Amino acid sequence: MTYACSHCPLENMASVSELYDVGWEEMRDKLRKWREDNSRNSEQIVDVGEELISDHASKLGDDVWIIYEQVMIAALDCSRDDLALTCLQELRKQFPDSHRVKRLTGMRLEALERYDEANKHYDAILEDDPTNTAARKRKISILKAQGKNGEAIRELNEYLEQFVGDQEAWHELSELYINEHDYGKAAFCLEELMMTNPHNHLYCEQYAEVKYTQGGLENLELSRKYFSQALRLNNRNMRALFGLYMGSGRSKTFASVSPQAGLDTEQQAF
Amino acid sequence: MPIQLTSQAYCKMLLHTAKYPHCAVNGLLIAEKSKEKKKDGHGVPVLCVDCVPLFHGTLALAPMLEVALTLIDTWCKENNYIIAGYYQANERKKDSKPNQVAEKVAARITENFSEAAIVMVDNSRLTVSCSEPIVVIYDHHENKWRNREVTMGSFEDWSEAQKITSALLVGRSYENLIDFDNHLDDLRNDWTNPVINKSVLDLC
Repeated sequence: MTYACSHCPLENMASVSELYDVGWEEMRDKLRKWREDNSRNSEQIVDVGEELISDHASKLGDDVWIIYEQVMIAALDCSRDDLALTCLQELRKQFPDSHRVKRLTGMRLEALERYDEANKHYDAILEDDPTNTAARKRKISILKAQGKNGEAIRELNEYLEQFVGDQEAWHELSELYINEHDYGKAAFCLEELMMTNPHNHLYCEQYAEVKYTQGGLENLELSRKYFSQALRLNNRNMRALFGLYMGSGRSKTFASVSPQAGLDTEQQAF
Repeated sequence: MPIQLTSQAYCKMLLHTAKYPHCAVNGLLIAEKSKEKKKDGHGVPVLCVDCVPLFHGTLALAPMLEVALTLIDTWCKENNYIIAGYYQANERKKDSKPNQVAEKVAARITENFSEAAIVMVDNSRLTVSCSEPIVVIYDHHENKWRNREVTMGSFEDWSEAQKITSALLVGRSYENLIDFDNHLDDLRNDWTNPVINKSVLDLC
């Protein structure tokens, strides 16, 4: 869902640099941090990025191209097609035959809900380069945007058979399965992620949540174990702490659970 | 018994929706607990004075939802409130039907409050000017959730709700809205949203 309006900022509104008393270098560094964190704070990116590009483009050097890309995507999120088109045109001028820019063209068409045209762009990229993962993932995103979750899941499974190491894809698939209430398969995806990222407390904790949601004695025990593991990896993970507490409470209602098992898991966590 | 929304409840629902435009969001509607039990309660609307934004992103997992329901229920008892409904805004713009998650949570709420309603936000009509109400209210009749017509009567004061919501959306107050997910990320974040509540009061 994007904003349905595109109101113009008030004429006398202070610029970002005035409001926060920052120079262009700090704005550039902020944008870099947001790129590295992959945060989706599109309104902020548009505010900072638009000012940076319009007032300081010449000082940015080669960084300007990646900033155009970042601001363009954020602009699509904020329904700012004017800004998105400006960025896209600059990128097209600089990189006329680039697949990366073609993908951005496709994304703009997606934002305008012109899915058939977007798909044509991605198909053209894939004809030229069948290993282009970005284009394949955009096609799956289109299916998701159209509400075709079943097809998106199928395509994503096929994609993962080829690109087994793509963690973003595994995580996306786990979310799709959760939305379809197929918790067993969601758990499988999270297992893949935990195998390759054994120190990531977030995957452990999410796996535990899926197991808890599945329900049943075995799954609850597993859920407690993985909440404990998440806490061991990061003792500030509140979800894991709450989850462990909730899971222990529930297990007591299952008469066949040995109290010793419950005690062991909790002792492990603390 | 139809529900009625105050400006604060409506406004915080929309702020939550606007804060996470790329995610599904959900939350609980809170009403004051009425002391008298009217036998003939039909026709008297239940006034939802507030809402508690719950989650954004993945809504279909149980543990944190149970934690939230437990904590919010306790808070309600302390403040003479009751959980009276559930709201949800789906991930996709054109999707505004209640799904399995909505029905399950609402069923849970109905165990404690028989007239619980589901309020779905119609994403496709979300605008900054808030010229019309964009919620769709569902009541439970004969084992199905049925859509009811939303009129100005569904609001305690529609023009006030519209004015306040629009002002807060323009002012980007949603950046400061705290939902239960934010609270779980950092326990200092207060899901009762005293700051936003004060902004709403100031605009009344």
